[in-house]
Amino acid sequence: MFVYEKKLQYPVKIKTPNAAMAKFIIAQYGGPSGEAGAAMRYLSQRFSMPYSELKAAYTDIGTEELGHLEIVGTIVHQLTKGLSEEELKKQGFSEYFVEHTTGVYPQSAAGDPFSAATLNVKGDLFGDLAESLGAEQKARVTYDNILRMVDDPDVRDPIKFLRAREIVHYQRFAECQRIAQEKLNCKNYYMYNPSYDGVRR
Amino acid sequence: MNEREKLLRKLSEQQFAAWEAGLFLDTHPNCEDALKAQREYTAAAKELKEKYNESYGMLTHSCPNRGSKWQWVCDPWPWDLD
Repeated sequence: MFVYEKKLQYPVKIKTPNAAMAKFIIAQYGGPSGEAGAAMRYLSQRFSMPYSELKAAYTDIGTEELGHLEIVGTIVHQLTKGLSEEELKKQGFSEYFVEHTTGVYPQSAAGDPFSAATLNVKGDLFGDLAESLGAEQKARVTYDNILRMVDDPDVRDPIKFLRAREIVHYQRFAECQRIAQEKLNCKNYYMYNPSYDGVRR
Repeated sequence: MNEREKLLRKLSEQQFAAWEAGLFLDTHPNCEDALKAQREYTAAAKELKEKYNESYGMLTHSCPNRGSKWQWVCDPWPWDLD
């Protein structure tokens, strides 16, 4: 089960609101490389992982992504808090404001609502591992792109933390892939070993 | 940064180090150095968590409640600015 801890994994305290930044940082809340998708992907893929090290890594990384979702939501919330209608309009936030006021809605930077269609759970060890590895790299690139657009150190600081976590998670998934490969039959040169375990007897 | 935030920062550092050691251990479950680091960081985090609970209220729902009011409902929440 899950237990909530009333704190962020990394602190966020943004002194200057800026809705223009919130508009694209929300990509990492509900976009195709965002934290909601990451948490759903790993916490769902873990059920068909055949090895205990992988069950542990998928559970822990998926759990950490929920903490990252909270950090990104906090950034978006603080960036839009206390702005006048005039400022929100000037900062290009009108469309979002009409739908969601300054609530935090899981959507991409382009405004598409969060969709599980941005991920898959194949129930296959190497298929799902490959997706996890790709997802970490893509999320890291999104954070790199956000850092290219943002100069406020209050925003850059937690984004840099999140970016670094993508790199660490990629490393752990790569180790998962190595562990899985080592468990293959020595005559199997290909990364192919279906997790599906057939009919229960 | 006020005193509460300073303590929270210290706690977060120890918790993060413990978490990172644990995540590393998921794929290196027999690494002695990581096992030792995990023990040390979790011990430090436990102490700081108790200190925080005594001074500033509950971090988790299962912390003992102090005083005559249910502390869980008290501000600040993690996304609050003040």
